[in-house]
Amino acid sequence: MIRAAALLLALAGPAAAQDFAPVYDVLSHPRCANCHVDEAGIPLWSNDDGTTRPHGMNVQAGESRMGIETLPCATCHGTQNNPLPGGAPGAPDWALPPAEMVWAARSAREICEQLKDPERNGGRTLEEVADHVVHDPLVLWGWTPGPGRDPAPGTPEETAAAILAWAEAGSTCP
Amino acid sequence: MRITVDGTPHELDIEADMPLLWLLRDELGIHGPKYGCGIAQCGACTVHLDGLAVRSCQITAGEADGAEITTIEGLGTPEALHPVQQAWIEEQVAQCGYCQSGQIMQAASLLVLNPNPTDDEIDAAMSGNLCRCASYPRIRAAIRRAIQAEGA
Repeated sequence: MIRAAALLLALAGPAAAQDFAPVYDVLSHPRCANCHVDEAGIPLWSNDDGTTRPHGMNVQAGESRMGIETLPCATCHGTQNNPLPGGAPGAPDWALPPAEMVWAARSAREICEQLKDPERNGGRTLEEVADHVVHDPLVLWGWTPGPGRDPAPGTPEETAAAILAWAEAGSTCP
Repeated sequence: MRITVDGTPHELDIEADMPLLWLLRDELGIHGPKYGCGIAQCGACTVHLDGLAVRSCQITAGEADGAEITTIEGLGTPEALHPVQQAWIEEQVAQCGYCQSGQIMQAASLLVLNPNPTDDEIDAAMSGNLCRCASYPRIRAAIRRAIQAEGA
């Protein structure tokens, strides 16, 4: 009985919302993490079994993070999703995020620490990070990724709310 | 919609979701850009949109509204070939030829953005353009030749 009560308390809304877990669920999702890659600038593609592989066509986004040095992202990625199965996804200003924002294959703790660090989050406060989630077209694409791709969990608004609740509770990391 | 293709302005009454490749081939009769895969996997349909190489099978007419398009048919003229076209002839790159207009358009765009690419950069830039005749060594040689011609 005591254990059941403790479980109920643990699952209560405010306490759960203070946790980083719902934020991590989004940031580690392939729709986000497949482009949040390291300085090598090689984005990832998802396999059907949940694993990933390097983007085809020997794509290297380079220092520009937009492939300007070799094959620009915009050569295949337009401003909107191609509607055909297997077609290229698209959104305005398609590009990789800066290399210091790498999330792919990183733990919840590592991503959490990065998200709080202005040196590694684009110079943003956590309120600005939450605002970024609901306004940046390329971030919003993660929830409307086109045919054949799983969207990021929840909604942009729920993710922003989870970030703000976690920040309000002290932004502790797992 | 309005679009300029190879220097000629056009005003067309077409659906906004028509692929640019369809617009070029079926509406304007420009058959240099080729259909290969339809999903940005092969590069045969490559043209320039406002100077940047794009896969015309992926770009919709709506996205191209107001744009300037250059196809292989407008890249140079018989009297004044583009340096990449000239290099292609001198290296005798083409075998069956189906992919070559896309290859040339991609190479021309590369040299605008990166005038002196390394061999690795050439390979990376051209990796999205497939050639089932495997003309890749001659493609790289032709790009190197075009770079030298441009620098001369």
